[in-house]
This record gives sequence, C-alpha cells and structure tokens, in this order.
Amino acid sequence: MSSVETSPDDSYRGKAAHPREAIDASCRGVLLLWYGSAVAWLIFGSVLAIVASIKLHTPSFLAEQEWLTFGRVRPAHLNTMIYGWASMSGVATLLWLTARLCKRVLPWRTAVGSMAFYWNFWVAAGTVAILAGHGTSVEWLEFPWWVAFAMGFPFLVLSVLTVYMLSDRRVEHIYVSQWYLLGATLWFPLLYVAAALLIQLPGATGVVKASANWWFAHNVLGLWLTPIGVASAYYFIPKVLGRPIHSYYLSILGFWTLAIFYNWAGTHHLIGGPIPAWLITVGIVGSMMMFVPVTTVAINHHLTMVGHFKRLVDSPTLRFTVFGAMSYTLVSYQGSLQSLRYINETTHFTHYTIAHAHLGVYSFYTMTAFGAMYYILPRLVKREWVSARLIRIHFWCTAVGMLVYWVGLTWGGVLQGRWMNNPDIPFLEIVQRMVPYLWSRSVAGVLMTIGHIAFAVSVWFMIRRKGEWLVGPTLFTSDRKLFASLDPDAKLASEAAE
Amino acid sequence: MYVAMMVSVVAALGLSAVFGLSWAVSNGQIGRFDAGARSIFDDEESEGMVTDTFPSSGAVDSREPT
Repeated sequence: MSSVETSPDDSYRGKAAHPREAIDASCRGVLLLWYGSAVAWLIFGSVLAIVASIKLHTPSFLAEQEWLTFGRVRPAHLNTMIYGWASMSGVATLLWLTARLCKRVLPWRTAVGSMAFYWNFWVAAGTVAILAGHGTSVEWLEFPWWVAFAMGFPFLVLSVLTVYMLSDRRVEHIYVSQWYLLGATLWFPLLYVAAALLIQLPGATGVVKASANWWFAHNVLGLWLTPIGVASAYYFIPKVLGRPIHSYYLSILGFWTLAIFYNWAGTHHLIGGPIPAWLITVGIVGSMMMFVPVTTVAINHHLTMVGHFKRLVDSPTLRFTVFGAMSYTLVSYQGSLQSLRYINETTHFTHYTIAHAHLGVYSFYTMTAFGAMYYILPRLVKREWVSARLIRIHFWCTAVGMLVYWVGLTWGGVLQGRWMNNPDIPFLEIVQRMVPYLWSRSVAGVLMTIGHIAFAVSVWFMIRRKGEWLVGPTLFTSDRKLFASLDPDAKLASEAAE
Repeated sequence: MYVAMMVSVVAALGLSAVFGLSWAVSNGQIGRFDAGARSIFDDEESEGMVTDTFPSSGAVDSREPT
C-alpha cells in the first residue's frame, strides 16, 4: 500500500512527497467537519428556498410570521447557500486538492478545524440577523456589517495557508487545478474585503453602492466558486478516467485568460442604470472576452470525455462532475450573450436572470462539488458509499429538478421580458401570467431537496463509517474485476484477493 | 473616491494575474505540457486506471478487513 512516487519531481527541494494515504489521513477530521457543516447548510438553505418559491405563486403561504416573509427568507436562502453550503464545501475541496497536488500533508489542522466552528457561528448569526429583519438588502452581502467583517478573517487565513502549502510543495510542477485554486484563494479575500468596505461604509450610497454590489456579486461566482469548480473538473475527469486532459496547453491558456478578463465583467448587471456608460461597456467587453477561457475549458473537458461517456454509468464522481462541466459551458456562453445590451433589454429584471444564476451556482458549481465529495469522502473515511440507490436518487432528482427549474424560468423569463417591454400589457396581468412558471420553480425545488436529503443520508452514513471497507486507498472493493480489466497490476491484486 | 477605490481594486486583481503569469513563465511552469498533464498520475493511481465507480448494491460489510 505504499505510494512512493516515481516522478523525478519528487526530489524537488530535497523533500520526499508524502504518501497519499498520509495526505488523506491528515485531512480526515478537519475536512469531515467542513463537509458535514456544508451539507447541513445545504438542507437548511433548501427548505428556505422552497418557502421563498411557494410565496411567489401563493403569497398567503406563511404570511403571518414576519420573519418568514419573502424579503427575509429569500436572502436567508441565498446567503446560507453561498456562505454555508457552497463556500464550506468549496474550502474543503480546495484544501484536499491542494494537499494532493502539492503532495504534502495538510498543515495547521487545529486552526483549520477551529475555523470551521468560527465560520458556522458567523453564518448562523448572519442568517438569524436576516430573518430578524437586520439584513442589508445588498444582494449577496445581506449579512449585517459586523458579520461581513468577521467573515473576512477566515478568507485571509485561507490565503496564507494555501500560499504556504504551495511554497512547501513536494513537486516542481504546478498542475492547472492548483493555479485555479491559488487564484480563488488570492483574489477572493481581496475582492471580499474591498466590497465589504465599499458597501458597508456609511459614505457608500446609491450608484457607488450598486456598482460595488454587482461587481462583487458577479465575482463571487467568477473568482471564488468558478475556480474551485473548474479545478475540480480538471482534476477529477482525467483522474477518474485514467487519461490526461485533452490539451494541457489550452488549460493553461484558459486559466490565464480567465484571470485577466473575469473581474471586469460584473458591471454588465447595471445596463440601463444611472452609471457612466463606459463602466458598463467595460463590463460588456470583459464578458465577451470570457468566450476565450470558456471555450478552452469546454474543449478540454468534453474532448477528454469523448469515447468514454459509458464511464458515466459507473462513476458517481464523473456523472456529477461532467454534468457540472457541461453546465459551465452553457452558463458561461449564456452569460456572455446576456451582457449584450440588445439581449439585456429583454432579460433584465426577469426570471431569466434567476434561471441563469442557478445554472451557474447550482448546475455548475454545486453538481461539481457533489462530484468532488463522492470522490474525496471515501478516501477520507476509507469506506465505500453505503448505497448506490441513494446516489442515483440524488443524481436524478437534482439533475431533473435543475432542468425543470432552468427551462421553466428561462422560457417564462423571456416571455416576461417581452411582455414588460410592451406598454399595452398591464404589469399585474404579467404577474398573473407568470404563475405557472413559478409553480415549475417550486416543483423543481422540491425535487432538488429530495436529492439533497438522499445525499445528506449518504454523507451521514459515511461520517458514521457504515459503508463497506475499501481494500486500498483508491480502489472500491466491489469493482475489482472492472479495474482488473483495465490494469494488469490490478488484475494480479484481484486474483490474489479472490 | 469610492469609484476610484473600486477601479483600483479591479486593476490590482488584473495586475496580480499579470505578475503571476510572468512568475510562471520565468519559473518554467509554462511549457512541458505533456508532463504537466500526466503529473496527477502516479504508481498507485496510474494512467489507464479508473478510480471511481458506484458502490456495490449487495449487503454491506462494515467490518475492517483482516
């Protein structure tokens, strides 16, 4: 079971690479805490989402409780999902990938574990504050200022930690996933602290506040969740298939073009708003330039899969990750086109934008995060997932739910935009015409929540170590024959085991 | 002042990317693409080996293997 590396990179700086089992063991307790918390927030955020969605077509639902009014439940859903589920699962995946790619054990484990408690405390405090009516009404930064500033600290610690791990890595080459992860941990703290200052300071009002708001909100996805999601896809697709990515050159080109173009794109959210036209045009140009990195990622992910799509039947990781990678292509092209003034005239202020946001944060990032967890958790706990049926329920409920959500709100959103641009149609009539599309949103939300519950049950059993033992750090016991057919060494091991 | 601050941060993000790229070029990180693509494989998880499948649907044995 030793994993002495054979690459010449191992002599880098005279330090031997740690065995992979030691790396996983170093991550075990800490990352289970981050992942477990993330799943708890996922369930809580899903319940909030269903409540908020039902209120859109049935306004009397839970209308008596002021803390459950739409204006509080919806931002509570958004912030628990972004800072609870997405960020906590993202931090765990980021740390595991960084440790694996740097081939060194996870340092500062006590601090990272304590940070999970700290993070949970502030997300909970912020959510309670929003439900109590103390939200800021600044989308994606609804937590009160005292929560927003407190949450900046862990981002800064994370930056220092990843830079330290990278500087103390045991291999010379920095794999493309590591570049994306480094970008996330260096850029996002700067973005978060700057946006918190710009938005929370008393002098920031009106147009300035709106500009900073949408520059930040767009970059939460682009410079925080996107790099983690793309890094996961660049690692897990080739790793699960056992074949290198289609073009490493394109992957490097894609990263550096994303690094240079993405952070300019946010102001396209303010098309038609009272801000300088050049500021919006810069945002549109940045958005259109995103065709370059997105196309490189699309070519790479999809051509790596060509000829191997049958593996989607076998691998939970691959199934979720490829779904996420395809969604990344779709949401990115859609986003770039949506930034054009001509298209924005119809889609702005409609449900189309909500569908687009969920295609990014859910269909791309969240599905990729699920895929990463299906790969990482068995290696942390050294147990197999307890039930294939639960995994299938999870996948089909979330995939079909997301499809229903996206089709319903995209279609409804385009119609809504066209109707709102027609002065002959009264606004209230448009609101009534939207009701069937809003029902599709609630149905989709229920489906996705069923999937999340199945996933939470799987993760609970995994944390309780109820699954079958793994025979080694990587191979699943149930599929020795499959591996044996692919790898001669595995065939010998399979015969010996039998 | 606030717009200037925001534009400065945007520029700082862009400059950090340019700095990172120049560091990567000068340290030989850009190049050797074939070796780079294969750097995630090793003896245990070698090229050609599938490393993830659905778990078995049979009875679960949670005892530690002897």
